[in-house]
Amino acid sequence: MDRTLLLGLDGATFSILDPLMRDGTMPFLRQLAAGGARAELLSTLNPLTPPAWVSMTTGRSPGHHGVFDFIWAEERQGQVYFTLNTFRDIMCETIWSLVSRQQGTVCALNFPILSPPPTVAGVIVPGLVSWRHLRRNIHPRGAFERLQAIPGFDPKAMAWDFDLEKQVETGVPEDQYEQFITFHIRRERQWFEVLRTLMRDRPADLTAIVFDGVDKLQHIGWRFLDPACAPAAPSEWERRLRALCLDYFRQLDGFLADIVSLAGPNARVFIASDHGFGPTRDVFRLNTWLHSRGYLTWKDVNTADEKAKESITRLIERHFVLLEWDRTTAYARTTTSNGIYIRVANRLGETGVPAADYPRFRDQLSAELRSIRHPVTGRPIIRDVLPREAAFPGRQNGRAPDLTLVLWDHGFASIRDRSPIICPRPVVEGTHYPEGVFLAAGPGIRSGADLGQLSILDVAPCLLRSLGVPVPEDLEGQVPGGLFDAVFSAARPTERGVPTLAPATAGVPDEASALTVEEEETVFRQLRALGYIE
Amino acid sequence: MPPRTQPDKAAILEAVVAILQDITRDWEVAYSGGITAKSRLVADLGFESIDIVELVVALEERFQTRTLPFDRLLMNEGRYVDEVVVSDLVDFLSTHLATA
Repeated sequence: MDRTLLLGLDGATFSILDPLMRDGTMPFLRQLAAGGARAELLSTLNPLTPPAWVSMTTGRSPGHHGVFDFIWAEERQGQVYFTLNTFRDIMCETIWSLVSRQQGTVCALNFPILSPPPTVAGVIVPGLVSWRHLRRNIHPRGAFERLQAIPGFDPKAMAWDFDLEKQVETGVPEDQYEQFITFHIRRERQWFEVLRTLMRDRPADLTAIVFDGVDKLQHIGWRFLDPACAPAAPSEWERRLRALCLDYFRQLDGFLADIVSLAGPNARVFIASDHGFGPTRDVFRLNTWLHSRGYLTWKDVNTADEKAKESITRLIERHFVLLEWDRTTAYARTTTSNGIYIRVANRLGETGVPAADYPRFRDQLSAELRSIRHPVTGRPIIRDVLPREAAFPGRQNGRAPDLTLVLWDHGFASIRDRSPIICPRPVVEGTHYPEGVFLAAGPGIRSGADLGQLSILDVAPCLLRSLGVPVPEDLEGQVPGGLFDAVFSAARPTERGVPTLAPATAGVPDEASALTVEEEETVFRQLRALGYIE
Repeated sequence: MPPRTQPDKAAILEAVVAILQDITRDWEVAYSGGITAKSRLVADLGFESIDIVELVVALEERFQTRTLPFDRLLMNEGRYVDEVVVSDLVDFLSTHLATA
């Protein structure tokens, strides 16, 4: 297989990267972009990390792969019962097992929804995993000990910090901004060192990593990064914060340069983001609005006893919505889905909207949402309201919200019980926009090609074509015309392959799991001898 | 396909303790006496909510099922419980693995 790199930059957008390439902060990226192809990369409908990365690495849309949010939830015992999405919730085959089945090897670092890790030929260190569970979630088992031998390796500094990430939603106190950014610089270096070690120890056909500090910095530091938001006379603190943000991107550029150099001149490089980014200026409190229209009733916390109050306070802090279910017909569950769930009474005695009335109810709610106006500008607050089947067509859309909203500034709607319904944010913040980035370079990539806009679903076909793996016929994206030059296209025409396998049957044999690195090498040698892998 | 054998309580306890030992291996928790049926996940082992989620995944993987109604263990009258004792977890698994 042709060696291929996927360098993921979570939330990267050209509106930030282009100025940084021009002003010399990211010289390597500038050089790579100039010598390769570029495109805007359109994310999933709700441009959110889990569904978007899963779409990129399966080539399937959320309605098919079944991941719509960080968590999934069901109503149980009169409460919303949450659990995190895991790899087992992805209902489509990923490129990791596709490449493994085609006798290739993979190395995938920091991708979300990759735990518990699948059994593949290669190494997986998943993202979105606390340091407390990192050892157990690395494939193959035993590889963690190899990582521990890396000088300076610190799982606490590298793995997902749930408390810190919660701050991105609730707001990082300004006096902790510098600490937050510095933490992410150190964190990216940890991932880089792990990747560098693995690339030297066991070079893979497909090497992929996500640097997610881009997203974190842009959430809190948009106003320091976006030239359009820059204050005319920045304070000393603002100047320092901007310098720190630029330092993050400068170091990131260095990591990218070293990774590409390590992969060698024959490697093909793809840089992609799961979604773009842009400014958000207003808070829209969706559940407060639903309450004002009679769709939702908050639970009265004051009637609870002291012990219950403590529990309720903790739940509210963890972003749970506490509702009187028998007086609620529609509500938003999470701060990240921009989705409304409608409570349907399917059986006698259940509360909610009668099943027969569901279409009319949903249409009416949708129309009311569309009519909400900004109190100052008078413009619609909501760009679009999409029913489940239109937002996420596919057999796995049962977990998707009944209605998905696109807000006017692409912000995420608040679900908390606060007033007013719409108000300006204290400062401009960054939020997820649909338009991410795609860059490609290396042998056979057309130099200087501007491919316009691609879909996030096109990335997997591009990677497979680069590797020389037939693109399964059920992948929804395609290899864009004009990405590869005439010589490459003639030598290796696009080849469509048989459909992907169901996740339960994909992957390499179980013998490769739960082994030490040395044991795994032995298994690989045996598999090679049997002709299963090269 | 042969019918799955139902593990007895002692086997379940052994499996649960092994999983908990594996999970807490790197936690630097000062808990003397080892993990037993009497151990409390939060007070003794230092579990947080995210750790419970990981434990559920590990148990589902170990017992090869995703249909266990963990909400019945983790919620009481619509509220999340503050503590789970290992023996409660073993009882729960013993009851529900039979019908999973």
